[in-house]
Amino acid sequence: MSEAPAALSIRSLVKTFEEGRMRALDGVDLEVGAGEFVAVAGPSGCGKSTLLHLIAALDRADKGSIIVRGKDIEKEINLSRYRARDVGLVFQLDNLLTNLTASENVQVPMFEGTKSAGERRARAEELLALVGLTGKSNSRPSQLSGGERQRVAIARALANDPAILLADEPTGRLDSASGRRILDLLEELRETRGLTVIVVTHDREVAARADRIVEMLDGRIVTGAAGEEGVRASPQAVQE
Amino acid sequence: MSFLSLILKNLLRQRVRTILTVIGISIGITTVVALGVITDSLKATAGEIIQLGGADFMVAQEGAADLAFSIISEETAAELAKRPDVERAEPALFHIVRSGSNPYFALLGREADDVASNPPQLVEGGVFAPGSADEIMLGKRSAADIGAEVGDIVRVEDRDFNVVGIYETGRLYEDAGAYAPLETVQEMAGRQGVVTAVFVTAAPGSDPTTVAAGIEADFSDLATIANVGEYKKVDQGIQLLDAANIAISVLAVGIGAIGVMNTMVMSVFERTREIGILRAVGWSGRRILRMVISESLLLCLVSAVVGSALGVLATRAVLLIDTVTCCSRNTTSTYLFAHWWWRWWLAWRERRTLHFAPCG
Repeated sequence: MSEAPAALSIRSLVKTFEEGRMRALDGVDLEVGAGEFVAVAGPSGCGKSTLLHLIAALDRADKGSIIVRGKDIEKEINLSRYRARDVGLVFQLDNLLTNLTASENVQVPMFEGTKSAGERRARAEELLALVGLTGKSNSRPSQLSGGERQRVAIARALANDPAILLADEPTGRLDSASGRRILDLLEELRETRGLTVIVVTHDREVAARADRIVEMLDGRIVTGAAGEEGVRASPQAVQE
Repeated sequence: MSFLSLILKNLLRQRVRTILTVIGISIGITTVVALGVITDSLKATAGEIIQLGGADFMVAQEGAADLAFSIISEETAAELAKRPDVERAEPALFHIVRSGSNPYFALLGREADDVASNPPQLVEGGVFAPGSADEIMLGKRSAADIGAEVGDIVRVEDRDFNVVGIYETGRLYEDAGAYAPLETVQEMAGRQGVVTAVFVTAAPGSDPTTVAAGIEADFSDLATIANVGEYKKVDQGIQLLDAANIAISVLAVGIGAIGVMNTMVMSVFERTREIGILRAVGWSGRRILRMVISESLLLCLVSAVVGSALGVLATRAVLLIDTVTCCSRNTTSTYLFAHWWWRWWLAWRERRTLHFAPCG
């Protein structure tokens, strides 16, 4: 178990769909330390994406609590503020806005803050440099490769200095070389900025890069909930 | 990137749709502006008629459907002139004839003495003499239109007149017409012994409103008109014009509003993915609403500018038509501001049609 204070603490989380007929999460408990890189793995339909969506406050749980920075987001009314400040989201599809440049895409989350237009631009440049895209500020998504678009998405996710970076299959649509570059970037961010990274993945290589693998099955965490020893061991633990 | 530039980029993403929406709204605004300007112009012209010879108010037949149908006997006109609170009561007969390219040439029959005692500003020549039957004074605009000068003979409705003077009053209706002896015009119009209206100037120290009220009280078949607002006493045309203007304006604005709503609703439904991304990166529902409303407002603003400009151009084009030119002053309408505010109100109403169910 990490000695750093928990960046994320989940207790007895339950989420159902179809008016309770389908139990996507069935009492999930999870703790993630600050600066940890955690991979959430499991077969399709095990609830890993649902878990990520709840942590990202894209949906609300039926029961349980999710505590980030000391606040139970299940009790929060203004979840948009939480999404703007406390978490950064990276999707499998980059989900960039096609009519905006790379710099403008990175600036979009910053509108919820108090920065001026000039400050937003400067911060976007800084983040694009961080992800290795200096010189690509004025490029539109159509002018970027898949890996570059995903890096813009990561820069966007970091726009408001979140505590946690959530990534849902961030390398799912990339070639292996691009995928490795993305993982290198995530590790670098974790080391240099102390960012907590939670990645949902099917990919062995991605899971192998994590400090800890949390395995899920049928809406429950099977292993890795609280940083058990040995959980980082075998990539074969990841079910494809 | 500012919020405004984001709005602009969003609108330019669907250029064709944006342009078509702007065109649609602009056509509506053009219609409203042009109609408003022309109506205003006609009303302004009507207002000028009231002040013939610098009068305080006009007296005409109560309940006449149109001023041209008003009939007042010369005896009644004489009685009005004798009132102690009246300084001057000038009878005039309006006879509309065709002259040259102008189908609405206003030939005003007036007493020579009245014209002589209160002459208009003369550009050239003088006034027609008492007892003269075939002398005419042309308005500056009509003289230019028919190319006549003092001393020329002009033909008006199969009758020749000797031009003795050219005047300019600054009032379009008069400057586009002419003054001729009352008896002559009565003969031409077949209205011997009657006039259309009497133009009254209150005696010094008398309040024109009180004088007008007194006349209406003493003569139940007469109405006094001091401003355009009272015109409906003797002319339903202005009212009809106003009603038609309002009806067409409401229709045009309504159609424009539907166009904007359609565009924005389509835009929102097509952008569910984009809106989802914005929510995911932390945008509040309120900010997204602000974005959509701002896009709508910017569309309306651009349309208002384009529509107003086209409306003014359309008005100028319409005013080139002789039939309209003779009766309308080329004025600028205050509708521009009224319609801008109307558009902003419509954009505010639109936000109620957009419903978001954010997950927080």
